[in-house]
Amino acid sequence: MILTDRVKKLREQSLNAVETISAERAMLVTEFYKGDHARELSAPVRRARAFEYILKNKKLCINEGELIVGERGPAPKATPTYPEVTVHSLEDLDILDSREKVSFKVSDEVREIYKNDIIPYWKGKSNRDKIMEAMTPAWKKAYNAGVFTEFQEQRAPGHTVLGYKMFSKGFLDLKEEISDAIQALDYFNDRHAYDKHEELKAMDIACDAIIMYANRNADELERIARKTDDPERKKELLEMVRICRKVPANAPDTFHEMLQHYWFIHLGVVTELNPWDSFNPGRFDQHLSPVYRRDIEKGILTKDKAHELLGCFWVKFSNHPAPPKIGVTAQESNTYTDFCLINLGGVKPDGTDAVNEMTYMLLDTVKEMRILQPSTMVQISKKNPDKFIHKTLDIIKTGFGQPSCFNTDAIIQELLRQGKSIVDARNGGASGCVETGAFGTESYWLTGYFNLAKILEVTLYNGIDKRTGEMIGLPTGDVTKFKTFDELFDAFKTQLEYFASTKIRGNNVIERIFATNLPVPYLSLLIEDCIANGKDYNDGGARYNTSYIQGVGLGTITDMLSSIRYNIYDQKKYAWTELLEAMDNNFEGYDELQYDLIYNSPKYGNDDDYADKHAVMVFETFYDAVNGRPTSRGAIHRINMLPTTSHVYFGSVIGATPDGRKAYLPLSEGISPFQGVDRLGPTAVIKSASKIDHLKTGGTLLNQKFSPSFFEDEESYTKLTALIRSYFKLDGHHIQFNVVDADTLRDAQKHPELYRDLIVRVAGYSDYFNDLGEDLQNEIIRRTEHGSL
Amino acid sequence: MKGLIFNIIRYAINDGPGIRVTFFMKGCPLSCWWCHNPEGISPNIEEVERIDKIGDREFRIKETVGKYYTVNELLDVAMRDFVFIEESGGGVTFSGGEPLLQVDFLVEALNTFKSEGIHTAVDTSGYASVSAIDAVIPFTDLFLFDIKHLDPLKHKKYTGVSNNLILKNFDYIITKGKKVIIRIPVIPGFNDDPDHLKALRDFVLGKQGVNIERIDLLPFHRSGVAKYRKLSLEDKMKGVEQPSTTRMDELKKYFFESGINVKVSG
Repeated sequence: MILTDRVKKLREQSLNAVETISAERAMLVTEFYKGDHARELSAPVRRARAFEYILKNKKLCINEGELIVGERGPAPKATPTYPEVTVHSLEDLDILDSREKVSFKVSDEVREIYKNDIIPYWKGKSNRDKIMEAMTPAWKKAYNAGVFTEFQEQRAPGHTVLGYKMFSKGFLDLKEEISDAIQALDYFNDRHAYDKHEELKAMDIACDAIIMYANRNADELERIARKTDDPERKKELLEMVRICRKVPANAPDTFHEMLQHYWFIHLGVVTELNPWDSFNPGRFDQHLSPVYRRDIEKGILTKDKAHELLGCFWVKFSNHPAPPKIGVTAQESNTYTDFCLINLGGVKPDGTDAVNEMTYMLLDTVKEMRILQPSTMVQISKKNPDKFIHKTLDIIKTGFGQPSCFNTDAIIQELLRQGKSIVDARNGGASGCVETGAFGTESYWLTGYFNLAKILEVTLYNGIDKRTGEMIGLPTGDVTKFKTFDELFDAFKTQLEYFASTKIRGNNVIERIFATNLPVPYLSLLIEDCIANGKDYNDGGARYNTSYIQGVGLGTITDMLSSIRYNIYDQKKYAWTELLEAMDNNFEGYDELQYDLIYNSPKYGNDDDYADKHAVMVFETFYDAVNGRPTSRGAIHRINMLPTTSHVYFGSVIGATPDGRKAYLPLSEGISPFQGVDRLGPTAVIKSASKIDHLKTGGTLLNQKFSPSFFEDEESYTKLTALIRSYFKLDGHHIQFNVVDADTLRDAQKHPELYRDLIVRVAGYSDYFNDLGEDLQNEIIRRTEHGSL
Repeated sequence: MKGLIFNIIRYAINDGPGIRVTFFMKGCPLSCWWCHNPEGISPNIEEVERIDKIGDREFRIKETVGKYYTVNELLDVAMRDFVFIEESGGGVTFSGGEPLLQVDFLVEALNTFKSEGIHTAVDTSGYASVSAIDAVIPFTDLFLFDIKHLDPLKHKKYTGVSNNLILKNFDYIITKGKKVIIRIPVIPGFNDDPDHLKALRDFVLGKQGVNIERIDLLPFHRSGVAKYRKLSLEDKMKGVEQPSTTRMDELKKYFFESGINVKVSG
């Protein structure tokens, strides 16, 4: 049993906790930076000392009854800020406090601290300020027009996951590695020897800091134990004292130690900076399984106890919402979810089936806990049994959007194509929404969403942003003069290459800003080869380094191009001027034409090669413009296809489009068809989606809505299993199911109070329906209706 | 040769094993009161009006029901889903209407699919000539055979034809060693009274030992209503409610407890 009284209480406490802004971290980091000492230090050592200062002085929070300890803030959901990355203005704080969705309450006290201490010190000095100052006018124009977003503007690079190594090592072991690396420095031939030495020194300080923080927790637990009368709880507390004195300094030996060990590691990452996609234990069933079996054999653990510990562990993630985001960054990722994506299943390092008893126990945990974070995915290899998929469908059926289904065999091929070793590839998986990575060995950054449909719009208006009238692209010609479809596509290609280069140039500046100002010596400890290389995670120290640009709106742009080819060039139904005029009028007064565009033009998602070939053309053009281009930290640029919530934002900057879509409505998400245009069922959608070459990406996202009737019995599970396996046979990267009916959602819109726990799949992640903006809610309702026809 | 088809469904999951492509052939000698595919009754192409919406705006569109396909065109459609068919152990199903009405086309189609190694099913009312049945038997892996009522008079009243030929054909198919799934539409007030249920049960039990894979209980549903309006047909089932899930579970249990493999479907 997972939901013991203890876990129930902790879970409720977490669900009921209100998200607030805590100024604690901002104050501590400011105090540290203001100190005379800080200025004299090298960048990595300064960052390590700041990390140490925070961990030494932050308030400890130990919640009643919990078995895993450690909170990033002073209380559950008390969320810190990172002024060295981005400093919130008082106006930002007001927005955070009062906005309808994903709000964070800001107390007067916090506001005062910001006004008097934080803002005066950091204004103009934060990384965000540095980035904005360094970007070119071309970059800024494209950014402001919504051609692309910038991930590193308010958050630090992260997007990485813990690998095998740290589940069998402690920080004392790492200190030895650091000492060896320092010994090995070659001051005669290596002109970076000094820089490496500083980085290694910083890493060593970070090791001591996290051990010190664990000991502070042990001291606090000891103090509480002394005051506790209940002998049972006292015993638990003393056991926790023992554990916190042992890990993460030393490698964990028991199941309980393993969970606490990971949680300290995690807290360090999210305290050092606010890296994207939280951080997560990755292939958790693989890491836990051996220690679980050992404890059971020794008789020091029962299955029930293990489940209870997992319940306690789950709650810790739930207590930690994503750091507050504002502006465009809030729009592209409008959620409390911090994208911790635990991977289950897949294959072992030797390539054999990795599903084990722990896989099923963790699936049970997901099902019973039913909370947003941590989010879970299953890695499905051709080697995994159907039973594993059935068990997964059993949870998906309940309509909470988890777990999502990933193709292990495709992920491995994607990683191999990028040059990873076979073992590192097998040990990888997906993090965040759908992003492929080699766990524990790769620094992979998402750098921003890329609005493919907007670029076509800019092409249609000869380089001008229709919404503002500003010239933001290149003058590629008046479309009404284009004699052939190919001329139009060439113009689009020119614009796309221009914007890709603009984005990449920006990336290469931003990477240096991070490497020089905000190295992450602590995170660098956790990702392999940073120690051996004496180089930071943010500076190319990891074994593998990748930077992604994420394409958005594939379905919409495919439909736009299909419509243009079909209606203007092939069937000659309309002249360019006629179509553009209707679009300029947002189809008001052009009912018949809009109808024709929506109902009679070929659409992506119907296994129709006429439409789908445009998806392939766009995909290949995007791929060629980005893939393989070097970055300034020695990484390689690559693409993936996912939107989080940016398809709503990106739609809001685009006028009416040739596919009949009205102005400012959301775009299609991921590689899914535009809402409602797929009319031939899931096999046709899958066929369309598999025409692009998934293996050339670092992840794609396909969303399928199903009414619960598809999940009726064992036989329907078998058929869904075959559906998933077929998609994966076609090299599909990922598929997820939303199982919910539209009436439920409509009722939830009317009575949000009754649906506090209603979780739906958004796009690559699940979210509370109530926390979604109304436009996104409506979009999901539309999609749902379609699915249940 | 061409066949008249009024609908093609991909990811059909209730028409036989695995993931299937189902072809709905136009024309049916029966006219069941509860027919939920009334557009499949007439053997001719029909014109109807369809209403499409964009927001609140309605567009009235003339739509033809029924289109002629060659066997190769059907094969092309099915092969688009080959990966799903192969992975799931699925196939194709010919439904309707009454597919045996277009027996020459059906034989050619079934033969072609069989030679491609694709599992074939025929969903039939059983109302067809013995020669038609004989012609498809060699190329049909599975029959989905409707048994609507065991009483000839009642059958005639509600479907337009007696069940004599149907029951004869049923026996003929099973004596030929073909696999059969019996499909029983559950129509409140028509065939769900205790006496008839018992007769149905005894009927199935009487056939035990032969290749009856399963019986499927298909609850009556009112999804055809809009189609009746569209085709200007009379809705003879007005006021009849769909059987509840509880009722269907009861019926399932009734058959199950007699040792019959039963599924509630559709």
